[in-house]
Amino acid sequence: MAGISFRNVTKRYGKTVAVKNASFDIQSGEFFCFFGPPLSGKSTILKLILGLETPDEGEVLIGGKPVNHVAPASRNVAMVFQNLALFPHMTAAQNIRFPLVERKVPEATIKARVDEVAAKLHIAHLLHKPPAQLSGGERQRVAIARALVRDPVAYLMDDPISALDARLREETRVELKRIQRELGQTLIYVTHDQEEAMSVADRMAIMEDGEIRQIGTPVEIYDRPASRYVAQLLGAPMMNLMAVDASGLEAGEGTIILPGQAMPQDVAGVGIRPEDLKVEPWAESHPGRPATVYEVEPLGGYTVVTLDTGGQKLRALMRGQPDVRIESAVALSCNPERIHFFGAAGEALRP
Amino acid sequence: MTSLATPEKMPMADAALKDGAAAADDGRRLGFALTMPAQVLVLFIAVFPLLMQLYISLTDWSPLDGIGWWQAYELWNGFANYTDLMADTRFWSALGRTALVMLICVPAEFLLGLGLAILFMDDFVGKRVFYSIMLVPMMVVPAVAGYMFFMLFQSGGPVNDILSGVTGMNVSIAWLSDPTTALIAVMIADIWQWTPLMFLILLAGLVGVPEDQVRAATLLGASWWQRFRTIVLPKMKTIIIIALAIRVIENFKIFDTLYIMTGGGPGVATETISVYIYKVTQQDLIWGYVAAIALVILISLSILVSLAISRMNKKKEA
Amino acid sequence: MTAIHLENLVKRFGAFTALKTMDLEIRDGEFMALLGPSGCGKSTTMNMIAGMEGPSEGRILFDGRDMNGVAMGRRGVGFVFQNYAIFTHMNVYDNLAYGLRVRGLPDAEIDSRVKKIADFLQLTPLLKQPSAKLSVNILQRLAIGRSAIVEPAIFLLDEPLSNVDAAFRAVMRTELKHLQRQFRQTMVYVTHDQLEAMTMADRIAVMDHGVLQQVGTPLEVYNNPVNLFVAGFIGSPGMNLLRGSLADSDRGLVVDLGELGLTAPLSPEVAAAARAHAGREVVYGFRPERVSLSVTGEGVPMPVTFVERIGARTIAHLGTGAQRVKAVFDNDVTAESGTTVSVAVEPASVRLFDAATGIAIREA
Ligand SMILES: Nc1ncnc2c1ncn2[C@@H]1O[C@H](COP(=O)(O)OP(=O)(O)OP(=O)(O)O)[C@@H](O)[C@H]1O
Ligand SMILES: Nc1ncnc2c1ncn2[C@@H]1O[C@H](COP(=O)(O)OP(=O)(O)OP(=O)(O)O)[C@@H](O)[C@H]1O
Ligand SMILES: [Mg+2]
Ligand SMILES: [Mg+2]
Repeated sequence: MAGISFRNVTKRYGKTVAVKNASFDIQSGEFFCFFGPPLSGKSTILKLILGLETPDEGEVLIGGKPVNHVAPASRNVAMVFQNLALFPHMTAAQNIRFPLVERKVPEATIKARVDEVAAKLHIAHLLHKPPAQLSGGERQRVAIARALVRDPVAYLMDDPISALDARLREETRVELKRIQRELGQTLIYVTHDQEEAMSVADRMAIMEDGEIRQIGTPVEIYDRPASRYVAQLLGAPMMNLMAVDASGLEAGEGTIILPGQAMPQDVAGVGIRPEDLKVEPWAESHPGRPATVYEVEPLGGYTVVTLDTGGQKLRALMRGQPDVRIESAVALSCNPERIHFFGAAGEALRP
Repeated sequence: MTSLATPEKMPMADAALKDGAAAADDGRRLGFALTMPAQVLVLFIAVFPLLMQLYISLTDWSPLDGIGWWQAYELWNGFANYTDLMADTRFWSALGRTALVMLICVPAEFLLGLGLAILFMDDFVGKRVFYSIMLVPMMVVPAVAGYMFFMLFQSGGPVNDILSGVTGMNVSIAWLSDPTTALIAVMIADIWQWTPLMFLILLAGLVGVPEDQVRAATLLGASWWQRFRTIVLPKMKTIIIIALAIRVIENFKIFDTLYIMTGGGPGVATETISVYIYKVTQQDLIWGYVAAIALVILISLSILVSLAISRMNKKKEA
Repeated sequence: MTAIHLENLVKRFGAFTALKTMDLEIRDGEFMALLGPSGCGKSTTMNMIAGMEGPSEGRILFDGRDMNGVAMGRRGVGFVFQNYAIFTHMNVYDNLAYGLRVRGLPDAEIDSRVKKIADFLQLTPLLKQPSAKLSVNILQRLAIGRSAIVEPAIFLLDEPLSNVDAAFRAVMRTELKHLQRQFRQTMVYVTHDQLEAMTMADRIAVMDHGVLQQVGTPLEVYNNPVNLFVAGFIGSPGMNLLRGSLADSDRGLVVDLGELGLTAPLSPEVAAAARAHAGREVVYGFRPERVSLSVTGEGVPMPVTFVERIGARTIAHLGTGAQRVKAVFDNDVTAESGTTVSVAVEPASVRLFDAATGIAIREA
């Protein structure tokens, strides 16, 4: 096992810069996630690690050694392409053995390895069954076992569970995380789903147009995004972004009063996460102007309330099933510590 | 999470990773170097006969002259063959006849083939048997087909028998002895022989039309004919062009079945370009002249086909 | 603007029954979500409403008119396919105009309606583009626009958002809802994502294995699931379901949760409904959002096995073995995996299910 690093790596396809001056260090045993919108270069980074592409500039290191000129087969990183689907005509054991048999590993080693993985995943008693006789959860574990049966330096996964339905995805990501932790292996993971990324990653890199915008733990990035772009990418519903009024003291057409003195210099805009936006019935004593409730979406455990400030729509995420009426006037506020400040270029400013 | 965004879904794609990526560029260059001789050879094989023809067409050479074709320059006569050709009425009427056959046969084959293909898109009883029967004409050796139609169209043959039965009169047309009916008989044989190919190609095209797009059109209220015109035909554009081009070119060269049925006769009534060339080569043995004919036809056919294709492309886009 | 009535619909494919007696009333102008896991028969139901397939048994009525034998082009149904089925040989404009052209409307009217819908869906700058090269996000809007332009009385959408990326999906959820509000068509929306169904639908029809499980407003199915399947499927994560037995005690009726070493008290309403089941095996259900955690306070001590912090929410996975519990709380609460916390549940939020049948125990 070993860490994986990029030093100022750039990869171009003709005029497209797929990866631009990327540098990062993935620690051994880490669950590292690349997250970004489509075409931001996530898959290209995986290809560079695998050796399917060579960087135009910079260096890829595995275990501290430069590997720019090492062939993919000698890099010993495993790519999990498949959608965690099993071969229906094989038993669980045959499914798990498959990748090893494919690469002609000696029988004794295969057996030892399969038993080891099966024990870790608590599926030893299921090995003789075909997938049709397994429950959904058991099938997942067998599929994960097959993905993990090799013993490479690191695993790479490109959106491996996106085709599963929503409920199964929620369960699989937890299972994947638990197993990775138990096996202690490096896992590099690409996803489009911010919830999935935040759930599984030890650390994550946020990408935009081939560039890495921020690296950190999900909590760090969520709580202290480095820019407006990053702030909007994580969180559902998205962070509310507002311009600061000419006075510099209010935002959202006067519905939100800013802390004034306590703000950093040159603030161009502020951001408030929906869960930090407090919605209360309108009272005359409230500073600022009222907002109108535009839409209420109950999710059961939470409720998303869309508010109309007169100039834009803001979202608030409220716990439970509060009694908020459409069209009613409400007062908005936010704990000053929870307000994000951004400069004119979208960079985060701290007080 | 777009599931479209996971391009590779094969299990164990690692197997494909044997080569170093760094070596990829070298590999491409090496591949080019290795295929180079083969490419030159192919080019030579394709171009050589053409050049040879061009050369001979500028001479008065014949295999009876007792000299090899490469020595034909001794019989050099410049463009005389080409000027002769312009004045050759038999050539021009053969050309006109060929065009007439093409203009009738190819559209007939296309429409019949398309109709059958559309029929075959639906399920019906005996579809498989029909399908096999449909393909029989393609499997019959042209010479056999020619002989078969020769028999069918005899004055005491089955065609007349059937016509007699249908009309209740005693029909005894000497099909192949009358210039007009001979031409009709020849065209019927061609349509019989080649409709199955049209059918097969067009069926492949129809199967390839995305079913959900047709459904979407139906749900938007399009009638059968509207769907056919606005979705099916445009989707089949390429394949229709290919099918028509194949048939136009092939039909222009119509020879074997026809020659066995009528030998180009009666007189020159069914003499097409191929038959004419064959007669000039085999009977008159003036090869320099034949070479000139062949080249003129080749060039005009190429121009014709490419013009037709580009016009069709333009029309469909508009 | 048509009510749809599915009357005892059955659909068989050979020996396999994809849909078992579906009886569903979709009201005029309603946004109905068909929700269920993969393979439960959602698309089959939609295809029958659209007329792409005929039912094996039962009837489909539009405003009381039997649709049996009415061709799909004549049902006045707009359909958005899961893969969009855009006419790839046409440009954006021609795709949008298609439904109007086949109706033979005058060009001027077609043009103004295309412009209007393109404006609404922000497709105006793309009208001249060939549709073959568009991104999924745009294809999706185009597919909606192409169906919406003919103003169908019924709009059917089969998982229209499952291929678009997460951020765009959130935007489209709101847009679709507003589209429907504006045009007031009857909308049937297929999805396997309960979040989509909860946020958009007026009512949700939850399906499983070809059987309709429950029909109700999002909050009805969330708050009062009729059986274990609905309880587990609705919610993110679904309801916690623990096996136990109903026992009488000095505190009244309680649920003995066995392995957890806890007897959970019941609220008077739940207890009253459960009276008839005393002594029986039950499933004790409660929402992860209704669990309160405290490091010291009262409740059942449970080990924290895993913590997911997902933006605004934190999901704690608690307990081992069969009796596992998930708890959802805000970010100001912190829990570390490996520690033990005390778990308490508001009795009023508890739902009981008959362990044998899986059916909710409710007041008669
Ligand atoms: N083989 C290639 N040839 C040309 N351009 C490419 C190639 N592979 C990727 N690109 C370009 O590089 C950029 C980054 O692509 P990449 O596939 O890494 O994005 P991604 O973040 O994985 O996207 P997605 O989320 O859609 O999978 C894109 O602009 C893409 O068009
Ligand atoms: N033409 C068919 N022949 C045989 N079985 C079919 C056919 N169409 C669907 N089925 C089966 O009927 C069941 C229901 O299918 P349906 O497509 O309605 O599922 P769904 O709920 O839409 O699932 P998904 O969310 O995966 O799209 C499935 O088990 C499917 O395999
Ligand atoms: Mg990718
Ligand atoms: Mg479906």
